[in-house]
Amino acid sequence: MANARTPQSEGLDILVLGGGVAGISAAIEATEASCNVTLIEKSPTLGGRAVRNHQYFPKLCPPSCGMEINFQRIRKNPRIHVITQAELERLEGVPGDFQATLKIAPRHVNANCTQCGACAVVCPAERPDEVNCGLSRTKSAYLPSLTAYPPWYAIDRQACVEGCHACVDACQYAAIDLQQQPERKTVRVAAVVAATGWESYDATKIANLGFGRCRNVVTNVMMERMASLSGPTQGKILRPSDDQPPRSVAFVQCAGSRDANHLPYCSAVCCSASLKQTTYLHRQLPECKTTLFYIDLRTPGLLQDFYSKVTADGSVRLIKGKVGKIEEDAATGDLIVTAEEALTGKKISTRFDMAVLATGMVPNTQGLPEGFHPDEFGFLTNEDKGLYGAGCVHRPSEVVSSIRDATGAALRALQCVVEGLPRG
Amino acid sequence: MDTTSIGRPDNDFIQDVLGLGGEDLKKCYQCAACTSACSLSTEQNGFPRKEMLMAQWGMKDRTIEDPGPWLCYYCGDCSKVCPRKANPGETMMALRRYLTSYYDWTGLSRRMYRSGIWEIGFLLLMAAVVIALFTLPHGFGFGLLARSGPAPLTHVMLDRFAPVAIAHRADQILALFLAVFLLSNAARMFFFLTRGRKIPVGLYFTYLPVFALHGLTQIRWKSCGSAETTKNWLRHLFLVTGYATMFLLVVIFLPWFQVQNNSFHWTSFLGYYATAVLLIATTWILIDRVRKQDEIYRYSHISDWLFPILLFLTALSGILLNVLRLMDLPMPTYVLYTVHWAIAAPMLIVEVPFGKWAHLIYRPLAIYLAAVRNKAEELSAEKKVDLSEMVA
Repeated sequence: MANARTPQSEGLDILVLGGGVAGISAAIEATEASCNVTLIEKSPTLGGRAVRNHQYFPKLCPPSCGMEINFQRIRKNPRIHVITQAELERLEGVPGDFQATLKIAPRHVNANCTQCGACAVVCPAERPDEVNCGLSRTKSAYLPSLTAYPPWYAIDRQACVEGCHACVDACQYAAIDLQQQPERKTVRVAAVVAATGWESYDATKIANLGFGRCRNVVTNVMMERMASLSGPTQGKILRPSDDQPPRSVAFVQCAGSRDANHLPYCSAVCCSASLKQTTYLHRQLPECKTTLFYIDLRTPGLLQDFYSKVTADGSVRLIKGKVGKIEEDAATGDLIVTAEEALTGKKISTRFDMAVLATGMVPNTQGLPEGFHPDEFGFLTNEDKGLYGAGCVHRPSEVVSSIRDATGAALRALQCVVEGLPRG
Repeated sequence: MDTTSIGRPDNDFIQDVLGLGGEDLKKCYQCAACTSACSLSTEQNGFPRKEMLMAQWGMKDRTIEDPGPWLCYYCGDCSKVCPRKANPGETMMALRRYLTSYYDWTGLSRRMYRSGIWEIGFLLLMAAVVIALFTLPHGFGFGLLARSGPAPLTHVMLDRFAPVAIAHRADQILALFLAVFLLSNAARMFFFLTRGRKIPVGLYFTYLPVFALHGLTQIRWKSCGSAETTKNWLRHLFLVTGYATMFLLVVIFLPWFQVQNNSFHWTSFLGYYATAVLLIATTWILIDRVRKQDEIYRYSHISDWLFPILLFLTALSGILLNVLRLMDLPMPTYVLYTVHWAIAAPMLIVEVPFGKWAHLIYRPLAIYLAAVRNKAEELSAEKKVDLSEMVA
């Protein structure tokens, strides 16, 4: 990407790891204080996890339009240097003066790409689409997202057919170079902001809830992709076993959260996320009955208002009681969900077409250099100078809080930058 | 469940349960995963979340009316799924200990459950009484210094050391003693579980077979959740046949079973069966308790150790006694006969009416009364429906 770095500002950079909503926000905020920012992203496109949601709460609008505005700001901002498919390999130096070595994987597609898609048409190889949680596949030559930034295709060489160059032949713009090699790049920065985000807790570890064993048990992240127009079902919510719209859906809260055997903490967003999912589920399938099983419904702060609005019409049946068991009726694929209604003391086993596990957030600190200190649950503590976590790697949060947190991290990074400036 | 009032928390009750093995119960945040994971828990008899709440909030009056703790056979599925590691399985065990001590009107059980010193002390005291009966001069007509003169030391003549008529009578007195205390405690339990409830008298008779079935077979255990359930149930069932056989031999057939010299009587075969079962089952259980692999054996209160150990020692001393008698070693036979009594009698006195063994009646009684209560509730619900239909 174009980088209009001015010579005077040499040595004042901030390195931001992760191009999700937190990383983008931290980068933009820092440039507004005349700082230069290198923003690196592991995947081939900016956007992160928020933009994969069908809608975000409490506004219930698609996150892609907000993200588009952010992309615009980045595009027009000469102080932000975006590098995709890049990872921080090594970090040396002291706060105020770090040397960061970046490893950049080859995209095999350059800026000549017009997104014509001819490469994907001829491509003979396929790969599972991790954006869609593996629910769909893409060609080896693929567009990382409908709103990809940079707006180019990418080629997954590991999925390629040996010796094939059909895409190169099909491309009219000489945009493809299958021989491109990984690169290394070194940047000097005063501070590093890690906005590396989160992973969904591995639901297969929660054996009693049947994920991976029962076909119609999905996670909240999968549900979000199914509802999304760019998702595996083009926005139709269908149960996996027979691709039929579900007539009843159980939302299973705290699937592995607040649980000493899994994640001991509360991810703070899953209750609101499930309430949100019931709203678009009802809009798409008005006949569908939804039941939400919870320990405590946690919609902190202003989200209480969201809770009141969503539950006002009684369309969601709320049951206080953690689900202890989900089993599949092998013949129909239906699920038998067992819980105790704690308020009445009645144990119930109910049949559902589908269950959505509200899995929690696991901070993604993999590959971070030494110096970032995680707390007992793996979230970054931000107690060390020059190295700050922002967004969900710092604490589990929804989009709005992530942006605020990123702004805070940018401010702290700027303090490091300013300390290195000559006084006067 | 009446949800209008919970009354005042009984703090002593909470402390008792905490001390009897429920030390983690306060971690519970009432998510109800335990009840839903339990394979014995039903719509009408849901547990153990309810019991966790009652113990946390000190609801003693409800707890003593609750059959729940006895409906649980402790597979530990609840503790495995518990997100707070509040250990509902062991809390149910603590509640069974509490209830055992509460049903007992003498207060002895309570002292022994709360203090290992009391339990061991009482066992030793009873053992001392037994030994005294055998060793004091003219001690009640038997022993080495029996009124009929010292037992001969040339050959085993058990009848001279411990005349079978007296031993038999002593056994029967002991059995009567156990029955009086155990049944009076069970009567208290019956009262607590039925008080304030409208139960048609006929139901008590209709459901008697439930009591017999579960008392004899413990069949409910088979539906419990753990992978070890069938093994544990069968092992326990064999143990029951072992001690039941031994009980009959000692209380009814002693004149034949207690062979007087180094000859042989066919009842010994039954004795061998019972001994083998008791030795194998108790050893196996003790090994499992030491290994702590099964959820049911992970936590052991002193009462959980004493019962199988005493049962093991009783069987061991019994079979050694048989060997010594057949070898015609008079003095060792007499000594071991005394030791056998000094283990068995205190064990029975402590365990059957006041200790862990009392579950032999509490469990089937709870299952039976739970069935009676559920039926009574169903009937009264139907009646209400009828009335409302009439009004309509």
